Amino acid sequence: MNAYSNAPRPGAPATTPSFAGATTPGAATVTGVRHPGRRYLANIRLLSLQTAKMRLLWVVVGFVFFTLTAFVRIGQLGFVSQTPDHGAAGDALVPPRAEITDRNGVPLARAFPAYSLWFNPKALGAKGQPLVKTPEEVARALVQIFPEEDYGEMLAKLKAGNPTYLHRRVLPEQANKIFALGEPALEFPRETQRFYPQGSLAAHVLGYVEEDGRGKLGMEEALDARLTDPAHRAEPVALSIDARAQGAMEDELSRGMLETHAKGAAGIILDVDTGEVIALASLPSFDPNRPDLARNALVFNRASNQVYELGSTFKPFTVASAIDAGVITDMAVRYPATPLKIDKFTIHDSHAFGASLNVPEALIHSSNIVTAQIADKLGGKRLRDTMIALGMNARPMIELPAKGFPIWPKGEWPRLRTMTIGFGHGIAVTPLHLAAGYAALVNGGIWRPTTLYKVDPAHAPAGRRVFQASTSARMRQLLRLIVVDGTGRKAEASGFRVGGKTGSAEIAGGHGAGYKNKTAIIATFAAAFPMDHPRYVVIAMLDEPKATELTSGQRTAAWNTAPIVSRVVARTGPLLGVTPDAKRDVDVSDLTPLVANGDGE
Amino acid sequence: MMVTAHRLRSIGWMATLVVCVALVMILAFRVNALRSQVHMSQARIIALKQETMYLETEFETRANQQQLKTWNDVEFGYVAPIASQYLDNERQLASYAKPVEPDAPAPIRVASADDAVVAAAAFPAMVSPMAGQPMSTPASGETSAAADHAAPKLTKVAAVVGLAGLGARLGTVRHAGHAADKAKPTKLAAKKPAAKTKSAKAGPVKTGGKSPSKAFAGRLVQSKVRVASADPHHRALPSARSGTPLIKLALRDVKTNK
Repeated sequence: MNAYSNAPRPGAPATTPSFAGATTPGAATVTGVRHPGRRYLANIRLLSLQTAKMRLLWVVVGFVFFTLTAFVRIGQLGFVSQTPDHGAAGDALVPPRAEITDRNGVPLARAFPAYSLWFNPKALGAKGQPLVKTPEEVARALVQIFPEEDYGEMLAKLKAGNPTYLHRRVLPEQANKIFALGEPALEFPRETQRFYPQGSLAAHVLGYVEEDGRGKLGMEEALDARLTDPAHRAEPVALSIDARAQGAMEDELSRGMLETHAKGAAGIILDVDTGEVIALASLPSFDPNRPDLARNALVFNRASNQVYELGSTFKPFTVASAIDAGVITDMAVRYPATPLKIDKFTIHDSHAFGASLNVPEALIHSSNIVTAQIADKLGGKRLRDTMIALGMNARPMIELPAKGFPIWPKGEWPRLRTMTIGFGHGIAVTPLHLAAGYAALVNGGIWRPTTLYKVDPAHAPAGRRVFQASTSARMRQLLRLIVVDGTGRKAEASGFRVGGKTGSAEIAGGHGAGYKNKTAIIATFAAAFPMDHPRYVVIAMLDEPKATELTSGQRTAAWNTAPIVSRVVARTGPLLGVTPDAKRDVDVSDLTPLVANGDGE
Repeated sequence: MMVTAHRLRSIGWMATLVVCVALVMILAFRVNALRSQVHMSQARIIALKQETMYLETEFETRANQQQLKTWNDVEFGYVAPIASQYLDNERQLASYAKPVEPDAPAPIRVASADDAVVAAAAFPAMVSPMAGQPMSTPASGETSAAADHAAPKLTKVAAVVGLAGLGARLGTVRHAGHAADKAKPTKLAAKKPAAKTKSAKAGPVKTGGKSPSKAFAGRLVQSKVRVASADPHHRALPSARSGTPLIKLALRDVKTNK
């Protein structure tokens, strides 16, 4: 190295003192013939020059390589760098199953790291005893901590000596108690499980998640693919449900159920302009946090799956259809109200209302006889077309997997069938059908599919026109009149301009056994508010309510479900953006003179 | 010599190289240290976010609709607002400001910042805590004429002090034990600080540098101590004593006026 110390300097060789005589390699070769020592030196010089060039080349290549590497690295950092949102750090926050929220972002279902109880028999070594104490003692202690577990089952699991879950979803305090048992074989792996912070609220809408991670029942099942899709798991799914309205609805329904000893209850709040379901309740309910207990009759959804003959609540459809078809042109026309004999069958009213009634009075008193006559004049075909337009011949339009098929009379409707369907018997639909129908009745006549997804009001589905807008306006007056003067008085909520119709239908026996059990009824109240500009439809239904002191010894809808609607409207109205106003109401002044107040007529 | 120069130069280059390598290594270490710090912070952020989610879920669970309903049934009894609690427009609001006519029914007072408290807080020095009588120097028992003389001046100053400190005082929560102590100041106990009051009153006036209003304020503050004299806590913390006794007195005043 020392001998060629000046060799890598390309500009210097000619002037270097040690090679003063040899100016160029060519000269060195020529002169080298006569002086071998010089030639030797020239060779060395040539070699060292080549070496120098090579080294220079290497240095340049090295610099270029480093520069390129640096630029590539800078580019990599600049364009495809790992930021917390995309990298491994971001993934840790993405739940394995997307969250479900209500329309205001209140979480209804979320992935939650909870403890489980896992039995690991190898905890004390492969050959050691799995448990310190006897399996009997441990099983007894565990059953004390989890009273709902079966002692025999627990003991069998502990004795079998296979690794298995002993209990899912262990609370921290229970985990502490188990820890105090001092058994190393009892472990608490922390697992992400589905958790419902609101408990049994909207249980039928949400459904539950089974232990294998599949959604069952409700939106958990309907949205299973979307909730587990890795691309969308981070974004929560917003439902149309409002947790506060849902809570109020469930609360009032359960109160009504307790007051009347009813078997069950269902309730719906529906946005009339978008078809969004704001609340959908079915009682008795279940706790989706305990999927292991959810396999029973309680998971049956009365609001969207069970079909009922909803009785008098169908009368407004008949009247609206008749107004729309031009069958009813004058509200003052009177119809005889004496029991009507058709083909060995007599249509009665709940009690006599005098010799004759006009249309507003027939609705106010809920007269079967007059509505049957209107249906008869309208004709089976037109009534059937209206019912089809209202979607009464198909399963309800909803995302839930549990959708009941209506009992829909096939073929042409004979005269008697037309008349009974006119007052809501001989056809059985779900309460959700009824809600969608009432929405069309009051919103200007447009039927829209009901949905559990949040809908932008500007992009509401177009729907289909069932009634003319003028018919809808008339029906708003009539429905309001029922609450002001008629059977629905107890549904009035001060300032909310409630309008609606009662329905107390006797329950038919199975297989066409007829209406033998006269005390078993389905009490329904279908309402909308505020009637001057309807925003929401409210349906409340009680299954077999009994007459109690709290309902003044009555079991009809006017006494049990109408007050439920009144309280629900009063509680949810302000939350849903309806301001109570005592100085505003729908104008019914053209109808009030036609209604005889009191017991006259 | 030449070789030494070359060698020196090459040594120099080598040294530069070594320094550069060392610097690069330091930089690399620092970058890696920072990166691991970032990773640790990320891990911590994730842990905290999960913790937040955990606590949020717990909160949501404890405050779910059914639980709130139960609490409302048992504890609060809130009901939904009714139609008469809503205002349509400014006109309706303005109608509440109409002067009361001769045979009009008594106006309904709504819950708000009660100006009676403010008004009462403006006259703390004038009321004896024992008798509820307006007197400026109750302990020394001087003539009421002097008190009357002092009153107009005090009113304004006290009003300023009272209003300014009202917000702060209303925001302060006092321990119940202190209130109990304050509720039973004997006359003997009241006499001792009364002397103090005099000296305090004289002090700022003598110095003359302070404005009379400040002097009065000082007197005001000192005279308030009289009420709190049984409470050693207040004497130990002179900065705190301009607070509660005033409002205490104000409340007393309201009570006695009733």
